[in-house]
Amino acid sequence: MDQMHPLLFSQFFGFNESNKHLFYTWLAMAILFSVGLMLRGRMRLVPTGLQNLCEVVIGGLEDFTVATVGEQGRKIFGIICAIFLFILVMNIMGLVPGCDAPTANINTTAAMALTVFVYYNYVGLRRWGPGYIKHFMGPMLPLAPLMLPIELVSHCARPLSLTLRLFGNIRGEEIVLMLFFFMAPVFSTVPVYFLFFIAKSLQAFIFFMLTMIYLQGAMEHAH
Amino acid sequence: MFFQRLFGITDKSYLNALSRAGSIGLHMVSGIAVGALMGYGIDQWLDTKPWGTGIFLIFGIIAGFKNVYLDTKRLVISQEEEDKNAGTPQKKNK
Repeated sequence: MDQMHPLLFSQFFGFNESNKHLFYTWLAMAILFSVGLMLRGRMRLVPTGLQNLCEVVIGGLEDFTVATVGEQGRKIFGIICAIFLFILVMNIMGLVPGCDAPTANINTTAAMALTVFVYYNYVGLRRWGPGYIKHFMGPMLPLAPLMLPIELVSHCARPLSLTLRLFGNIRGEEIVLMLFFFMAPVFSTVPVYFLFFIAKSLQAFIFFMLTMIYLQGAMEHAH
Repeated sequence: MFFQRLFGITDKSYLNALSRAGSIGLHMVSGIAVGALMGYGIDQWLDTKPWGTGIFLIFGIIAGFKNVYLDTKRLVISQEEEDKNAGTPQKKNK
């Protein structure tokens, strides 16, 4: 579907089909950084406009995290909120004409899933030390030799499922959008935009929630 | 707001259940796939042709079912909490 795009902004900057997702990843980072820098200078006690929106989104996510993980969720909230906003911006970029969703490329999603994998294991190791291996041993000691490979496979399956879910959904939506555009240009894509806006937000939220669940599993007592 | 009224998507319980249910299916598949891949890799490495794949495929299937079981448990627990909270009057979030 890549070569059917009439015009992509990345072409102006010398990016080609094989590395254009890098350009859009940097664009998403630039959007997030500029919003953050814009808001930092003029924080008000009574929020208006953009600050209001950001406070609703981030405050809602923080309440959700604290309700699920507990008070220790505030320590990990920074990184998972950043992941949510980053994926949300990248997903919705796929709906902007002339842009492409970087998450429609499997390398972007694999990089983020591996980051999550390394991070929750790091959190577990830092909190429990060598006792972190109890998380892989199952409920009772005699079953440990059997549970160890099962837990190992189960933990290694997490980055794979994170990668494939996000990549498959966003890529599929891009392809369906393109097919709708071919069937009836502009007119047919408008209702699909609403559906995909919700589906893309939901995928970002699923990634956020699974990251939170994995971090919770690494931080709480083993079974 | 518009989306809130149209789809109830920002309704927290609905969003929560939808995202949890949507993540169950691939957890099972990825467990099996990772088990089979690990077994295949071990077969290539140690030259134990059929055994590594078979044993690790079984481990993968068990791991996949365990993932689905844990996800379902989490889903049921979160729904029960929602039901418990639904009895108390809650403030309107605007």
